Amino acid sequence: MNLKAGKLIPGGWVLALSLLIAGPSPAQTAGATLSGTIKDSLGTVVPNAKVVVKNTGTGEATEAQANAAGRYSVANLLSGNYEVSVSAEGFEAKVATVQLTVQTNQTLDVALASISTNVAKPALGDLGFPTAQGSAQDQARLDRRSHMLMIHQRLGLITLAPLVATLITSSGASRHGTVAERDWHAALGGAAIGMYAMTATYAIRAPKIEGTATRGPIRLHKTLAWIHGTGMVLTPILGIMAYEQLNRGEKVHGIASAHGAVAWTTSLAYGAAILSVSFKF
Amino acid sequence: MNRKILIALLLPTFAHSAGADVQWVLGQSTLAYHVSHPLHQSDGVSHAARGKGVCHEGQCDFLIAVPVKSFDSGDSNRDLHMLQVTRGAQFPLVTVRVRLPEDASVSGTLHADLEIEFAGQTKQYKQVPFERVNQGNDVKISGTIPATLADFKIDPPKLLTVPVKNEMPVHVDMLWHRP
Repeated sequence: MNLKAGKLIPGGWVLALSLLIAGPSPAQTAGATLSGTIKDSLGTVVPNAKVVVKNTGTGEATEAQANAAGRYSVANLLSGNYEVSVSAEGFEAKVATVQLTVQTNQTLDVALASISTNVAKPALGDLGFPTAQGSAQDQARLDRRSHMLMIHQRLGLITLAPLVATLITSSGASRHGTVAERDWHAALGGAAIGMYAMTATYAIRAPKIEGTATRGPIRLHKTLAWIHGTGMVLTPILGIMAYEQLNRGEKVHGIASAHGAVAWTTSLAYGAAILSVSFKF
Repeated sequence: MNRKILIALLLPTFAHSAGADVQWVLGQSTLAYHVSHPLHQSDGVSHAARGKGVCHEGQCDFLIAVPVKSFDSGDSNRDLHMLQVTRGAQFPLVTVRVRLPEDASVSGTLHADLEIEFAGQTKQYKQVPFERVNQGNDVKISGTIPATLADFKIDPPKLLTVPVKNEMPVHVDMLWHRP
């Protein structure tokens, strides 16, 4: 008997050590997955149902939401018995039980009864709309977008003033004009560029709304932005080159001679961009 | 004897019309809102409405729902702005509930009391006239709901600092059928 024990004890230590080295058993960590489809009594999928999976042994609950196709999936569940509670607007809540074993993918489809079948009044659930309540977070995002675009619109209109003033003073900035006139033209141009940059920033940084295709006059507005945006970068560079050439007593030459044409093209594109969203063509 | 047979034949028909529920389902639909601005006249159209009607004990309850974001005015920028001012992300559906007597089934004008939930507000409209035309087993309903922005506490959107008009009539064309 002792001999047997002596032979078994080292084996037991080896087993214990191997368990310690291996860490916790798979039953404690390796997760099971519970998934399925939520449907109504007629077999039509119920989208966006709320699914709560509660381990009846530990009391730990995991919440999930079915997708638009009524599918839900909860992963990393320990083995044991679970209560699965399913609820959706317009339907009676339902609780089902399921036993999960280690590392299995178990399917549990749930059929919900429409509330309207009991009260003879149609409900949103009958129409396939899960709920009338949306997302406050998405609304805040929309509010922020509209607010930024409103500032973009106002700044865009205000920017017209220094832009037009810069164009008006352009004749005095030529080689027939004085240095003071050129300085005045450059200052107005600088102000227009600064205002333009602020205007553009509000449009560029306004939150984008997923899944929205650009349609209508805003497409033209955005296309024109590529023209006046490029022009607003090139115009001051060419203007500085022309300014320096004139101040050196030279005639404007090289690419600097394109300053006027680029400035006018930019301004016309800018004006057209404003008109494109102001009037219906 | 003949009388008993006649009663036996007629009884199921009577029971069907008086006791059993009759259901209606909304098929094709067009809902269009109209907004006026000194520079614009905009119409947003949706064909995404879903509806169901249940007639029970002489009364029919109808529910129609349409996603706010399904309205298309031809300008995505304007549609997103409409979605924002109507709080369409927070309240994504417009729902209309109507209760009508079951015998309002002949062609012609019917007057309906509507309860509309939109932009987080509920508004009742009394005796709104609709034209009803029976087309075989289908029924076509057309009319205009005299909605205003103020009814739903919507701040009038502005373009170039000028607000749109308060009136926002919604024209409705619906084709209902029995499933």
